[in-house]
Amino acid sequence: MAPIYLRNTKGEVMQESVIDQTKDITILELLDRVLNKGVVITGDIVISVADIDLVYLGVKLLLTSVETMQQRQLTVVKENQKNL
Amino acid sequence: MEKIIYAVLAVSEDKQAAASCLINGIKGFFGASLYPVFYNDLAAAVSEMVVPGDCIRKEMALAYASVISELNRTATLLPMRFGSVVESDEEVSRLLANHYNAFANNLNEVNGKVEFGLKLLWDYEKGCDRIRANLNYCESDAGCYFSKATASTVYLLEKIKQHRLEDALLKHVESLVDEISQHLALVAPTCKFKKLVTNNIILDAAFLVDESKSKIFIEAIEMLTERHNDLHFLLTGPWPPYSFTEITVA
Repeated sequence: MAPIYLRNTKGEVMQESVIDQTKDITILELLDRVLNKGVVITGDIVISVADIDLVYLGVKLLLTSVETMQQRQLTVVKENQKNL
Repeated sequence: MEKIIYAVLAVSEDKQAAASCLINGIKGFFGASLYPVFYNDLAAAVSEMVVPGDCIRKEMALAYASVISELNRTATLLPMRFGSVVESDEEVSRLLANHYNAFANNLNEVNGKVEFGLKLLWDYEKGCDRIRANLNYCESDAGCYFSKATASTVYLLEKIKQHRLEDALLKHVESLVDEISQHLALVAPTCKFKKLVTNNIILDAAFLVDESKSKIFIEAIEMLTERHNDLHFLLTGPWPPYSFTEITVA
């Protein structure tokens, strides 16, 4: 899974809660891409595979994580830079 | 059995054997083996659809993304959207043949490049307060617009204020887009922006960055953060080029 970088110039201390959140947010970002982007097949050629409401439900829940980031005053996750 | 397509890869014809090795070594949904379907210098990475369509879960979407990510480590590709299932290998082959130019051109555009995502977040209330403070509120008095203050003119005045705030908010975000585009013009000339996604997410951007310039790109974003203490920058990546795959196959 792609690394994630959070930036805020106010502080540079990594917190465990932030690390947990970054996992959720990375999943959100990934799902957003897989579900909403990429080559789209339409028409008779494609077989409808799924009602993906369940997946979207997960996305909505994760979106809450992004929204609450602001309130929790995220700090910089510097260590993740080394993963690139 | 139905076939699920994960991605379309650029594969020069003399490297089809190597591509087969790569694709065959990856497992898809529920352990189903991937295999390539070739057409000229394109290959679709497919597997049999072993799971009934009515039991799709978030984990499957993540597994799908994981396969794409694995393929992208060694090949230029265009990810397929989750749920791309067709009836047979022949259908996959026909799909590649019928849309060969679109696939080839798009693959050429993303060759050697990765995607980064950037979300800008802020405290909506505080942000609006700052913007309001910069607005000229001569209209705070209903008399500016109406001959007398009544319940309806007060209501209209509130609507005018709200409209002006929204207008100023959009202009603020547009100025941010301009600033970011100019700042990153050399390192990430191809980018996409969605403005005002939610109250707190004022900008959602995607950048196509030459893989060799990833570090420079991240440093450039860091410089931006220093200019905007009021914003939180959420930078993710590198991703396969999901946001720069622009093909709809009918």
